[in-house]
Amino acid sequence: MTPELPHPHPPRLAAWLVALFTSAAQAESILGDLHEEFFDIVSKAGIASARRWYWRQSAETIAHLASAGFRVAPWSLAGVVLLGFLLRRFDFQLPERIIVAILRAQRPYSNLHYGFYVWQVTYGIPIVGVIQTVLIGCIVAAFAKGREIVATTTLSIVSPFAFLLHFLLVGGQWSNSIFIFPWRFLIIQVENLVGLVIGGVLVREFRSVVARRFSRTSP
Amino acid sequence: MPDEMVGLRSEESLLTQMHHFFYIVYIMPARDYLGEFEHIVLLTVLRLDDQAYGVTVRREIEARTRREVSIGAIYATLDRLEAKGYVQSRVGGPTAERGGRSKRFFRVTAQGVSAIKHTHRALRSLTEGLALLKTRS
Repeated sequence: MTPELPHPHPPRLAAWLVALFTSAAQAESILGDLHEEFFDIVSKAGIASARRWYWRQSAETIAHLASAGFRVAPWSLAGVVLLGFLLRRFDFQLPERIIVAILRAQRPYSNLHYGFYVWQVTYGIPIVGVIQTVLIGCIVAAFAKGREIVATTTLSIVSPFAFLLHFLLVGGQWSNSIFIFPWRFLIIQVENLVGLVIGGVLVREFRSVVARRFSRTSP
Repeated sequence: MPDEMVGLRSEESLLTQMHHFFYIVYIMPARDYLGEFEHIVLLTVLRLDDQAYGVTVRREIEARTRREVSIGAIYATLDRLEAKGYVQSRVGGPTAERGGRSKRFFRVTAQGVSAIKHTHRALRSLTEGLALLKTRS
């Protein structure tokens, strides 16, 4: 007796990534088309080549949809990215301020919980920094309706260069620290990249859930 | 004389009478030439008639032009054509073979047909008399 073969399904990660870069209405038809062609290829050439085809199509589809996002409304996208950059710029030292305020409030107990105190000093600022960038990512994505991931990814790519340029041209108390502590600048940029995109994904997923619920309840 | 020619003549006569810049700009025809891929997609949708959706459009283009295209390229172009008013779309019912997702059918509008004709006229005019492109009988 031959063992029953598992039911083939398209790569979930690829489908999820395509859905992130499309509006809810577009995702329905694009993923449906990819699904239909995937099973056609499975029946003709097998699951391995169908999966390869699906991944290649997904990557090309994401590239086309992202570039279309830039072409359709470049100025509104640029405006949203600028908003995100300004939010990052004005709240640049917010994580430090929050952690310093917490440490000051805990000073009387610092000897009792010294380990926790050191942990906060070491990891507190990067953690608050990530939370801050996630929130900024959410705000940017909320304004970039339908192009949440394109806007947050663009901001996360553009802002390290914009920050560097800003500090080189305008200066400020942080300008020297970039060169004295380059690792600190790198950590902030990684936080930036991850946090902003996570913010975009959260808003995109929230909108997808709302759209699915609305389509189920509407007659 | 066809109606559109009558319209054109009357606009030409008005143009000679009214040398006003804004009026001239106003009656200038909007840019309705198609890009290469837009042209291919529009002709394919026209050819497929009421069966034009992502999968069939992609397969038809690949079969006729021997050019591999992605679903994303097709949808990005169709969305652009829809925004220009050259195609209209409607959503069909969900099917099991598509994982319960519905198809989006496209059809070419009168404006789209006019854009195809306009582009063909321009191409014909450009290729007319070129010995290099003459086919051997």
